[in-house]
Amino acid sequence: MKGRPKLSEGRAISLSAAQDEVVGEPVRRRIWLEGMAGSGKTSVGVRRVLRLIEGGVPAESILIMVPQRSLAQPYIRALRGWTEHRGGQVSVHTIGSLSLQMVETFWFLIAEAAGFQHPRQLPNFIGLELVQYFMARVIEPLVDEREYFNSVRIDRQRLYSQIIDNMNKAAMVGFPISEIGARLKAALAGGVEQAHIFDDAQTCALAFRRYCLSHNLLDFSLQLEVFRDQVWPTAQAQDYLRGRYKHVIADNVEEDNPVTHRFLRELLESSLSALIIFDRDAGFRRFLGADPAEARRLQDQCDSCVTFNKSFVMSENVASLGGHLAAQLGAPAAHEIDGDPRPALKAEAHRYHPQMVDWVTREVQRLVNEDDVPPAEIVILAPFLSDALRFGLAEGLAGRGIPLRSHRPSRALRDEPAARTLLTLARIAHPHWDMPPTNFDVVCALMTAIQDLDLVRAKLLTEMLYRKGRLSPFAEIRSAAMQERITYDLGERYDRLAAWLNRYIDGAPVDAIDIFFRRLYGGLLARAGFGFHADVDAGNTAQNLVDSARNFRWSLDFMSRYDEKLDLGSDYVKMVDRGVIANFYLRDWIADAETGVLIAPAYTFLLNNRAVDYQFWLNIGSEGWARRLYQPLTHPYVLSRGWEAGAVWTDEDERELNRGTLRRLMLALTRRCRKAIYLGHSELSESGYEGRGLLLETLQSLLRRLAREGQDV
Amino acid sequence: MFKPRPKQQEVLAYRRGFMGVAAVPGSGKTATLSYLTAMLLAETELEEGQEILIVTLVNSAVSNFARQVNEYVKSDGLLPGYGYRVRTLHSLANDIVRGKPSAAGLDDQFSIVDERESNEILAEAVDAWARRHPEAADAYLAPKYIDNAHYRSQKWVEILSETARSFIRQAKDELLTPADLGGKLADYRGELTLAESCVDIYKDYESALAYRGAVDFQDLIRLALKVLREEPDYLAALQRKWVYILEDEAQDSSRLQEDILRLLAGDGGNWARVGDPNQAIFETFTTADPKYLRAFIADEQVDGRELPNSGRSMRSIQRLANHLIDWSLAHPHAKIRERGPLSPPHIQPTPAGDPQPNPPDDPDAVVLFGEAYSATKEAMVVTESCKRWLAANPEATAAILVARNSRGSEIVKFLRQKAVPYVENLNSSSSTRAVVGALARVLAYLADPKSAGKLAEVYRVWRRDERDDPAAAAAIKTVLSALKRVKHVEDLVAPRLIDWLDEAIAGEEGGTHFETLEAFRARVGSWLRAAEMPIDQLILTIAGELFRDVGEIATSHMVALHLSRLADAHPLMRLPEFAAELYDIAGNKRRFSGLGDDEGQFDPDARKGVVTVTTLHKAKGLEWDRVYLISVNNYDFPSAEPNDSFIGEKWFIRDDLNLSAEALAQLTALDDGSAYREGFASLDARIDYAAERLRLLYVGITRARKALTITWNTGRGTATEATPLIALRTFWEGEREKEALHEAPG
Repeated sequence: MKGRPKLSEGRAISLSAAQDEVVGEPVRRRIWLEGMAGSGKTSVGVRRVLRLIEGGVPAESILIMVPQRSLAQPYIRALRGWTEHRGGQVSVHTIGSLSLQMVETFWFLIAEAAGFQHPRQLPNFIGLELVQYFMARVIEPLVDEREYFNSVRIDRQRLYSQIIDNMNKAAMVGFPISEIGARLKAALAGGVEQAHIFDDAQTCALAFRRYCLSHNLLDFSLQLEVFRDQVWPTAQAQDYLRGRYKHVIADNVEEDNPVTHRFLRELLESSLSALIIFDRDAGFRRFLGADPAEARRLQDQCDSCVTFNKSFVMSENVASLGGHLAAQLGAPAAHEIDGDPRPALKAEAHRYHPQMVDWVTREVQRLVNEDDVPPAEIVILAPFLSDALRFGLAEGLAGRGIPLRSHRPSRALRDEPAARTLLTLARIAHPHWDMPPTNFDVVCALMTAIQDLDLVRAKLLTEMLYRKGRLSPFAEIRSAAMQERITYDLGERYDRLAAWLNRYIDGAPVDAIDIFFRRLYGGLLARAGFGFHADVDAGNTAQNLVDSARNFRWSLDFMSRYDEKLDLGSDYVKMVDRGVIANFYLRDWIADAETGVLIAPAYTFLLNNRAVDYQFWLNIGSEGWARRLYQPLTHPYVLSRGWEAGAVWTDEDERELNRGTLRRLMLALTRRCRKAIYLGHSELSESGYEGRGLLLETLQSLLRRLAREGQDV
Repeated sequence: MFKPRPKQQEVLAYRRGFMGVAAVPGSGKTATLSYLTAMLLAETELEEGQEILIVTLVNSAVSNFARQVNEYVKSDGLLPGYGYRVRTLHSLANDIVRGKPSAAGLDDQFSIVDERESNEILAEAVDAWARRHPEAADAYLAPKYIDNAHYRSQKWVEILSETARSFIRQAKDELLTPADLGGKLADYRGELTLAESCVDIYKDYESALAYRGAVDFQDLIRLALKVLREEPDYLAALQRKWVYILEDEAQDSSRLQEDILRLLAGDGGNWARVGDPNQAIFETFTTADPKYLRAFIADEQVDGRELPNSGRSMRSIQRLANHLIDWSLAHPHAKIRERGPLSPPHIQPTPAGDPQPNPPDDPDAVVLFGEAYSATKEAMVVTESCKRWLAANPEATAAILVARNSRGSEIVKFLRQKAVPYVENLNSSSSTRAVVGALARVLAYLADPKSAGKLAEVYRVWRRDERDDPAAAAAIKTVLSALKRVKHVEDLVAPRLIDWLDEAIAGEEGGTHFETLEAFRARVGSWLRAAEMPIDQLILTIAGELFRDVGEIATSHMVALHLSRLADAHPLMRLPEFAAELYDIAGNKRRFSGLGDDEGQFDPDARKGVVTVTTLHKAKGLEWDRVYLISVNNYDFPSAEPNDSFIGEKWFIRDDLNLSAEALAQLTALDDGSAYREGFASLDARIDYAAERLRLLYVGITRARKALTITWNTGRGTATEATPLIALRTFWEGEREKEALHEAPG
């Protein structure tokens, strides 16, 4: 009965009377629950699921919908292993996973009507990495030969990702992809001469769609569209879904997109019970289609509405700080601005960026060593987390003996040292690709792969033993003195790595690159004495690479039936080298060992949905705190459902948006903070520029106001 | 604390509207402007997000300005910099464009190519064009060179690059795209050969930039103006934001800068411009022109003021400079006179009781040599004089000012021969090169981490700030020599069985430097671990530890961006290649510059007892006790006379044509449909050049506090004394005679 303790773990949190009341509502109720972050809504959701099961509801009739897999973690943890005699398993889905499952199930029923050229063959679902790969094949000729996008300055990878964004928006909001160009053009205020780039973006989207339809490829947008327009309307799918899911729990609906909202609204019509959880002042995934206004319409489907206003997280001072900041940014007076924000705010200004990084590490050390704050109760946040900032913090904290972990999703696979190491070793192991790594790559790969090996010794080893594309045995270093310089224990580890690779080269050919990665990682690098041992980030990266390569192999295997000339292993390495943005890998989001100080971009922290005692906000002068990414070929707001067709996007809209974004961010961050916020400011950013973003302006005004009101901070 | 004199107080009384201030050298215009900023900050009730915008010329001025304002402002906020921002034109344009990149057709992550990369892209475009049009050289090469393969291939391509660069720069200033120009060419009646080739090259150049997702410096400014013109809402928001615009060094403003600031100020806005039109010396390199500031000050709507008092130079030097103004107003060459190269106000001494009184007058310390020296003889005379003077005045400062870098290098050789202590301030990117050199040494070590010699170089870089301190320099030397002898570098930077530091202490090698070396080891260890980061991030990591100066950090960032782009373009480049690239830049084999101008401030007063060798352009804003102004002949300071030669006119081009000037004239013809007549633009360019050189001479004279010596040389044997020098010498000799008569007994 391994599941039981998990259930009791889920039960261990004691609930307030208000929470208990919602959990205890009659089963056949559709409840709308809204409130601020940290007011205990998800705890109610978790407990409600458990109560349904304990009350005899078959687990398989329960659907938990979340906008992003990481947000389902509290439910999954509570339900883990608890499957016996409860009527199957609870389904936990995002719209992505649900639509994939449904399209796959009903494929032969709808493929022809959906326009696929090979409706009798299986579909090939492709993730973000492969979408970029195939998109490059379709669009490159248009850009290179027909001068598409010639008036815009943008690099290729970002060009592709913005076309992908457009297609995804169309699918999530629910308009045809043929309208993308017209919608974007209509909203253009100035710079009308740029209008033609939207025509180009439109043509590219349609060209990619044609390619997908003719090759049975389903990217996220097509998958969602097929689900929305072909699968869900069929009687069979309706019977299946309505028949199965009688109880719906939808959490963080404000982060979900309109197509999900519409699906939920329709599903609720036939459901026996529902709990719809809405986080006020949130909606951070707008660039991924989040639409809080649409989400709110789900309230109409509910029998009762409950609001939680009390925070279980914030101290009064932190609450006051959040309220003051929100008020400064024009929030209605309803926000909590009683109390004194001063004790919750620690700030120090520096001239140079490294001084700020230094100050942060010293303050963290003080909190941990003098105030006994557990490192996991501290997060360090910045709008963007560059390698240099991460490295500076990591070095500083590691030097003070403080454990840390970082989380940076949406990066290119090749940007991770662990991935680069595996790719370099793959090049050595596959001489027939004729893509030997450079000597310096070998030096770096050895340094990363072998624990405790420094760059100097890695260089010596490479110079002496990397010959003709192979790593020779350590014993081939003739001089004992030189062997001693390397040291024998490092030599022994090196030997194990070299022997492993040589055995692989000399053995039977293995085509599957993902299997190579898995073997190398599991069979060697994750073991004691090697670089990935006990390194969670490196382990995750290695596993992501395995998944990514496997998906690549499957997709390309599949594509081979359409006579495409593709080479698996080397094509994969080339694709990663080009810098494709990685898929979403759930394991990146699950912190198994929440023991260290977390370093993350601010929004990534929010989507982890947890509270801490102390937050450090770095680079507060950065525009990135308030401003959306400007992307010339797409626009998250103009392509949203609420946008009035033909309306022009003005600067006032942009300013309001920035203020609103920052206001929500301030509330969201303070509501996930128990004790205090440290502001790290350097007059000159990492790049030597003076940042004057809205957060800095707002803080300056607040500090000045408090000073004038006699509350000298 | 700043104590304003009466004329400065008039400027400080400014509160609203447009104000134009004509200042003279040494009149304290920057101090006045920063004090005005502080006063406005204290008196103005700024709304949230509002600021005073200060625009100045170079990055080093930005930090000086900010420092001065901070000194004056008592901050009641917690974080510094509240209520104002100081920008160069480039960084302001960057702010404007980054605020609304899509309106400029840019992605959020657009990059800015530096001068070197821009030149490389252009060179590729020109090369390709020249190969496609091998006959093009025939139209312009002088008959003697038409069949010379070297001139047809190399020289022609060089001058075409230069011509195309001027053309593209001007076209961008006029907001003309290759497509606009292509259309105009099709409609133009008449032949514009140069323009046709330049438009083709311009088109290729732009495509190459677009492919990189990048803009060049001209684009940045052009696009800022475009965004402001086409986005009225955005403009209105910026007008609300910047309640005051204060502009320093306004004489070097280009039309685009003026247009941008005029838009930002708006009707009824607040815009104060301070500058010295007589010190506008960047026309040749940019599209700046002092006429814009002069016209602004003369405008009826503008409140015109003057800062005529200067305590910098002794009275005799001021009289000489003032005479140059008077002479130029009656310049013998009518066309130069019409250009009005120099204009009042004249320099006046500071009033009695002023905190900065003029040095005591000593007319004997102004020496204008009329003798025709050869270049060598001139260098020897100046070197000897300098040596004697420095020996007699070890606490004073001195400078030798030259018009060209190459002449500076020649002078340096003589100084070295005669063991005269000197410091060079010659190449326009010396501090950039120093930053790049430091980064190159660290990268070179990381690429070859077992090299003791390279590790020692890193140590030298790590302690670069202390090298001027004699005690530290000796200690550095000791450690360097110990480091070079480290047998196994890993025993120092990543010890396992043996720790070199322990051994060294036992062996007394570097023993007294244990703590420093331990800190050094920690730093190097951290860089070794960082070596596998993407190159741009590695550079930022190293720079974060090495540099403190704003310009240095900004330059490092440009280096990081540059290498990152190289890495994208050449996927096989690794640390060894990146280090080599940086060595090329540091060794001046490749040009490279930061955003706008990253020069750190050169401080002459920190160089007492040493002579500074500097170009006149680099000397702007600086002053020395004694100044030697050399090579004042008709080559470096021509007056558009028949015997004068002009840098823009190449010997291998027919009919003394200045191709850049002709190409610009063709551009104008193309733009406004006017007729083009060959040769006129070349003649006009002579006039402009002569006018700018007069101002350069004025700048040179006004660098001197207590003593000034002017000499000239015959160059390759044919150069003559510069006409303005003859005028000055005649004037000065007359003055001295008058004085002698006045003083003569009886």
